[in-house]
Amino acid sequence: MLRYAIGRLIQAAVAVFGVITIVFVVMHVSGDPTLLLVPQGASAEEIAALRHQLGFDQPILTQYLAYLAGLAHFDFGISVVQRVPAIDIVLSRLPYTIYLAAGALTVAVGAGIPVGILMAANKGTLVERALAAVVLTGQSVPTFLSGILLILIFAVELRWLPTSGVGSLSALIMPSIALGALSMSTFARMMRIAMVDELGKDYVRAARARGLSMRAVVMRHVLRNSAIPVITVAALEIGNLLAGAVIVETVFAWPGIGQLAIQSIQSRDFLVVQVIVLLISFIYVATSVAADFAYAAIDPRIRLAR
Amino acid sequence: MLRLLAATALAMGILAAPAFAQSGKETLTIDLPNDAATLDPHLQWNTDSYSVYRNIFDNLVTRDADGKVVPQIATAWKYVDDKTLDFDIREGVTFHDGSKLTAEDVAYSVNRIIDPELKSPQFSQFSQIEKAEALEDGKVRITTKSPYPALLAQLVKLSIVPKAYVEKVGDAGFNAKPIGSGPYKFVSHQDGVRTELDANEDYWGGTPPFKHVTFRAVPDVSTRIADLRTGQADLVRDVPPDQAVTLKDEPNVQILSVPTERVGYLYINAEAGPTKDVRVRKAIAYAIDRQGLVEALLEGYGKPVDVIGAPPVFGYTEDVKGYDYDPEKAKELVKEAGAEGAKIEFLTSPSYSRAMVEAIQQMLNDVGLDTEIVSSDQATFLKRRQGDPANAASIAFGRWSCACQDADGIIYPLFRTGSTWAKYSNPDFDAAVDAARSTLDKDERQKDYVTAYKILREDVPGIGLYQDYALYGANSHLKWQPTPNESMFVMDMSWQQ
Repeated sequence: MLRYAIGRLIQAAVAVFGVITIVFVVMHVSGDPTLLLVPQGASAEEIAALRHQLGFDQPILTQYLAYLAGLAHFDFGISVVQRVPAIDIVLSRLPYTIYLAAGALTVAVGAGIPVGILMAANKGTLVERALAAVVLTGQSVPTFLSGILLILIFAVELRWLPTSGVGSLSALIMPSIALGALSMSTFARMMRIAMVDELGKDYVRAARARGLSMRAVVMRHVLRNSAIPVITVAALEIGNLLAGAVIVETVFAWPGIGQLAIQSIQSRDFLVVQVIVLLISFIYVATSVAADFAYAAIDPRIRLAR
Repeated sequence: MLRLLAATALAMGILAAPAFAQSGKETLTIDLPNDAATLDPHLQWNTDSYSVYRNIFDNLVTRDADGKVVPQIATAWKYVDDKTLDFDIREGVTFHDGSKLTAEDVAYSVNRIIDPELKSPQFSQFSQIEKAEALEDGKVRITTKSPYPALLAQLVKLSIVPKAYVEKVGDAGFNAKPIGSGPYKFVSHQDGVRTELDANEDYWGGTPPFKHVTFRAVPDVSTRIADLRTGQADLVRDVPPDQAVTLKDEPNVQILSVPTERVGYLYINAEAGPTKDVRVRKAIAYAIDRQGLVEALLEGYGKPVDVIGAPPVFGYTEDVKGYDYDPEKAKELVKEAGAEGAKIEFLTSPSYSRAMVEAIQQMLNDVGLDTEIVSSDQATFLKRRQGDPANAASIAFGRWSCACQDADGIIYPLFRTGSTWAKYSNPDFDAAVDAARSTLDKDERQKDYVTAYKILREDVPGIGLYQDYALYGANSHLKWQPTPNESMFVMDMSWQQ
């Protein structure tokens, strides 16, 4: 187990290192922030002077080595746009990303799992088809549309919820639904497939033949066995929810990592982008490791195999 | 008993509501597309940042409603010679920490922004300044490298910061907790969320109209409009024309618009590609229906212009006429130049209206050119547009403002030989804009700019399309006249029941 964990960690470190190198090169090759920082009328000499002051006239390798040297001391550098340590900016946004991911996951799991179970249990009936329509809607309506629709209905017309921003729990409801809808559909589909798969297996028939009720079979055996693929999906979804909320965060003026990432890329705020990339890589690695441990906890066969 | 209590509470609530409304508005909430990047007024210069921080600071001079440069911290000024300007400094102005604003602070503010150590992105606006010094009689003397007619126009943008405080807390500390002498005091800033300001009750210029002001960052325009409709925001910036039209019928909401110094223009590469031929450039000018663009895409929130400039800009002229919309003539010119089906690369980025770019593309294709839109992100766009002429595409749409209301800030950087934006060179044009830059005589300067605009008309390295209007959505109770330089001073606003 320990060897396995160490191996995973080394793999993860290599992956993260590769990602920051690629991002560094791509961002620097595609232009530095100097042109975006100066007023329109700046002369070539003035632009060159600022570029020199900010250090972007150095060869890319020099800049890269300086960046790595900083990283070795946990110095993530200073945002060239905001003149504030990059790590401070990202950390101040992290809680909002976590709230939103938690809210969206609550929506996704809270609605997706029961819907999946209901669909599997009512296979071939009208109930399944009605629920399939819900799942399809959640999966196919783009968030920029669902977000605006939610705002128009619940904030502008009904005035139940605030349109945007942060500060109260009610402000979290609409972004969570908009962001959670897609994951909800994923969970529902996965749960349905896994359940249908399990329900067709021999042990279910055997248990039923021994006189156990369907309900007892599902609760005691089927759910547990169906959980494995769903956990795999959950790990990926948590990563997606933490990293991929760009549109929802923009629509709802939610100050999370996604919005910050897109703004920092546009303004070529390299060091902020790098911190975000590091963080997201870390989250992906952490969630997939956590999923591994979760398999072991749920399925004794995996525990024994190691 | 309980019911009685509830009834009393209800009655009190009903009574209290109108009483509160009559007491005037306490908090003004403004939605901006982005958070302020810095609150140090000597660092970032972009609309969202200065919309916030310019309320915290006073400027050396400012502009009145008619656009005239008028006193603010400076009460009067006098040219000692062509390169030396002395300012009298207002007495009795204090910073938010209670310290007195002196000539020392003014000189420090000027010298700080031109100090390479600060690495200020705004440096280019003040690069003609040699130095500033506090004189013994309490005046401030600013010396420029050469006679510099746009100096006062640039000083409109110079915020006065407290020397002692900045030196004490350092640049980073000042950016985190700025102190100025303006009508509003900094309270708090939450990155990516909001900036809170409180009224400076001791403001020398009068009592600020609202006790608190909140600037919020709301990137999506539909959300900003929803905020406005629900009353969550009282004023929102950057409303697109098509949305403004639909908001007109909305109760409790008004559209505030103002013709600005910003000009929509089309750059045409005169040094490379098919547009190197002046006949092709003229054909492009004839092919574009400016009136049509303004009516169809800007919903009338814009005005066609004949030159790359607008009425609030010094040097703007109506004596130089643009090219009339004449597709037949354009076709002839294209044919004459042998450029039928020539590939015109149209460089753009998401910062510019896609509808505008596509409309222009259609107009050019209609006269026999083959226009291809190439869209990249803004950083790449600028790199190409300001780089080597051969790689700078044939045409690009832009919206230019120098925030200085002077042609020196527009056609000099756009077309002067050697400027990063210029893909064009004409010694006569250079001579005209150079002359206008180095004399303080207003009539001479105006003449030079008319000459320059005439040359541009013949050479067509670019054409003016329209004067841009700034559009704001506001609660119908808000009284405010937006200004041509797109500033947002809460001090100029008020609330009417």
